Amino acid sequence: MTGVRFSLNGEAAEVDVEPRELLLDTLRDRLAMTGTHAACEQGACGACTVLIDGNGVRSCLMFTVQVGGSEVRTIEGVGSPGSLHPIQQALSEHHGLQCGFCTPGIVLTALELFETDPHPSRQQIVEWMSGNLCRCTGYINIISALEALAGTAEARS
Amino acid sequence: MTAVAPPQAPPEPTTGVRRREDTRFLCGQGEYLGDVQRPDLKHIAILRSPLAHARIRDVDVSGALTLPGVIGAFTGAELAADTGTFSHHLEAIPTLRQLTWSVLATDKVRFVGEPVAAVVADSRYIAEDALELIEVDYEELPAVNDAEAALQADAPQLYEDWGDNVFLYIPGAHGDTEAAFEAADGVLTERFTHHRIIGLPMEGHGAMGEFDPATGRLEMYVSTQIPHQLRTVVSEITGLSETKIRIVAPDMGGGFGNKIHMFREEVLVAVLAMRVRHPVVWRQDRTESLTASVHSRQQTHKVEVAYRNDGRVLGLRADIIADVGSPELYILGSGPAIVTTAIIPNCYDLQDYAFELRCVATNKAHMGGYRGYGQGQAVFLIERVLDLLGEKLGIDPVTMRRVNMIPDGQRPYITATGAVLDCGSFHDQLTDLLEAADYDGACRERDEAREEDRLVGVGLAQMVEATAPNIHALAGQFGGYEMAMLAVQPDGKVTVVVGTKSQGQSHETVFAKVAADELGISPDDVTVSDGDTGVLPYGTGTWGSRSAVMGGGAIIKAARQVREKMVAIAAGLLDAPADQITVSDGFFRLGEAAIPFAQIAAAAYLHTFLLPPGMDPGLSVIVGYDSFSTSPFPDERGKLNVSPTYATAAAAAVVEVDRATGVVSVKDLTILHDCGTVMDRVVLDGQIHGAVMQAVGQTFLEELHYDENGQPLTTTLLDYTIPTFGDVVEPKIVHRETPSDLIGGYRGAGEGAIIVTPVALAAAVHDALKPLGVPITQANLSPPRLRDLLRGHSAA
Repeated sequence: MTGVRFSLNGEAAEVDVEPRELLLDTLRDRLAMTGTHAACEQGACGACTVLIDGNGVRSCLMFTVQVGGSEVRTIEGVGSPGSLHPIQQALSEHHGLQCGFCTPGIVLTALELFETDPHPSRQQIVEWMSGNLCRCTGYINIISALEALAGTAEARS
Repeated sequence: MTAVAPPQAPPEPTTGVRRREDTRFLCGQGEYLGDVQRPDLKHIAILRSPLAHARIRDVDVSGALTLPGVIGAFTGAELAADTGTFSHHLEAIPTLRQLTWSVLATDKVRFVGEPVAAVVADSRYIAEDALELIEVDYEELPAVNDAEAALQADAPQLYEDWGDNVFLYIPGAHGDTEAAFEAADGVLTERFTHHRIIGLPMEGHGAMGEFDPATGRLEMYVSTQIPHQLRTVVSEITGLSETKIRIVAPDMGGGFGNKIHMFREEVLVAVLAMRVRHPVVWRQDRTESLTASVHSRQQTHKVEVAYRNDGRVLGLRADIIADVGSPELYILGSGPAIVTTAIIPNCYDLQDYAFELRCVATNKAHMGGYRGYGQGQAVFLIERVLDLLGEKLGIDPVTMRRVNMIPDGQRPYITATGAVLDCGSFHDQLTDLLEAADYDGACRERDEAREEDRLVGVGLAQMVEATAPNIHALAGQFGGYEMAMLAVQPDGKVTVVVGTKSQGQSHETVFAKVAADELGISPDDVTVSDGDTGVLPYGTGTWGSRSAVMGGGAIIKAARQVREKMVAIAAGLLDAPADQITVSDGFFRLGEAAIPFAQIAAAAYLHTFLLPPGMDPGLSVIVGYDSFSTSPFPDERGKLNVSPTYATAAAAAVVEVDRATGVVSVKDLTILHDCGTVMDRVVLDGQIHGAVMQAVGQTFLEELHYDENGQPLTTTLLDYTIPTFGDVVEPKIVHRETPSDLIGGYRGAGEGAIIVTPVALAAAVHDALKPLGVPITQANLSPPRLRDLLRGHSAA
């Protein structure tokens, strides 16, 4: 077992894990961050996306021991029921989610995009988001939501 | 009455969240199967067959038991000793092979991925490690991975006692096809193929089980579209009474029909929970999902069409072969193929129709339910026939459809197979589609593009969908009805529990509005839940575009009963006859006098002396709701009406084919959609968007592959590619609203666009390739397949 310390949504976290343990499982099973979803566990779908030091990472492809000293941000650290992040607000307003299973990964991938460029074009949105799979929405309303947000002042927050 | 809705408007901006479900999903606070935690939860890993066909000589789990952290390891034979078996419950069908099967394979494996042994351990890591310590002695047998090959006399036999591999044979003869063929000016013969795909909800299947030996109660959480029916099956196999089993279907990451079956693994979880006396969970991984859940669509159709030279189809014979893989699945995985045979006449006046269906077992994973449920293949057949016949006769696609369409006015129209169609005018629907799609303009632009040597094509298609069906004919039990509980609470807020099960369809939001409208209150005062067998006696789940029709209908029925009692209370308080009381905006009114809704509720529970003399306290009902218009069995002529109402849709597509790469760009897609009364336009359009995207995936991107030994080759989402952001096709959506005669006027939605879009795309690709003379008779139009077709053509 290896001790790993990192920052999780701004708070100190410390776990004792086998070197083979995936960050996805540590977050979900040890730290109760169940908003990070296991959908393909092969790095193909983006549902388990988290931000590590601001960079979008598939937590199913990363070992927990690799995040020592890093800042990890999950969906639980983005908005809260009383105060949604503008990305979350936009997705709801545009009906950009149905079953909600891919949604946390969508939000985090979009968050990285908007922190990189608050006013992306439709084409940039499509290209940036294309590593995240959704089986319900046909993507149309997700794109509409992010496009609408890209035109606003609150895009970066 | 029919009203044509205006073109799609952008959603109105809202300040809060659009749906009840949104806040928890957006914040990662949903509770999906994998999020259900219990102290001391143990993990199940399943050892699956690496061979497509083999006899099991021996399974030795002793090695697994030596690994620290392993709680138990189980073979099929061991569990079979005191566990019941699955069956199809279809003893009434003499041409169906009667089978029983256990939670784990016992004597033979018939596909790669079939469950053979199971381990329970402290973590999934340990459980998976332990699988490697199990030794299985297999006697490998030759495998067959193709239905037509499986029909050959020398093919490997999946079940030696059958004598062939035909699991289910259904013949049907309606009208007088012989006379039709004799009267015909000619006969068109075609062959159509549908490839194997998977519905692939983003959340895989899974189940958690916890057994309390002190009370004998089993509690399960299962990612299932049908929790109540699953409870019946778990009861049957475990021997526990249904009173001792509670099944909860929590938030679901999609279902799309893949989760309408009772999977071995789900019942295995119940069996293991009772054995190991720890809560246990099985969470399917994606490779299990792709290789050992349910596949869909794969069929081959040979069709003979008797026609008149004016384009009229006089008679049709279809020989349908469905590749059902392993048939050991309940509810019957061949169900969609049976539905295909019933829907082939579609919206056309085709009474002389005969078919033969052979559902063939092969060494592949189960065939099963997926959005569209066999109807897309039927519509593909008849719509392609009309286009190909029209081409042969020099008649345009619109005329071909009008010549054959079910005439206006004749309602209900009873189809050859017994469907009692209550639909609006098909002619008007087609007219609306052509106008919305600017069909004539699209054809002109196609002609101009052809002048520039570009491969542009236009395609049309129409469909009738059997919605809200009675499942009894395919399951040997259950029905098409629904149940709902509605309680007005003492504070005037309302609790609704419904027997449908949302998997993303926004039921918490839309059903709140349905109940609120009946009760004259705000949807904010209504809370809707579903998927819990501990709360509602029974339910039929969500599938077959049934939730609005039957769930919505049950909720309205319940609300009306409760409202009637509240009116009686108000009438007593206002000293007026009940028929003079009106209900609106949260008040019961008599002229200027108004009593708040909450005050009536309080009277019913907290101040019961205010109730009319002799009235029982409380404001709650549990209702069952049936249409009484569907049949559980075919009649003696093989005719069967499974649905209380039918939805319709039509599509027009414009595509361009890149002849070098075989890539098809969808330039324009118009969906005309009639699901009766629309509950929520934004949610409905969202369903259509998703169905269109899945149609695009199945047509241009998705295919499951097996090699000649039955080894699956598409085992990750890197091999099985579903559409992503760059593949978006944004349809123009036009709604007609022809209310049904059922409570609420709903016809059902969610599947129409995936039924009608693939053949509209195929028709458009066919039209695009017309200058090259390459006919499209296959559903798979992926770039490699299309390149094969183009190469085959240029070589010829």
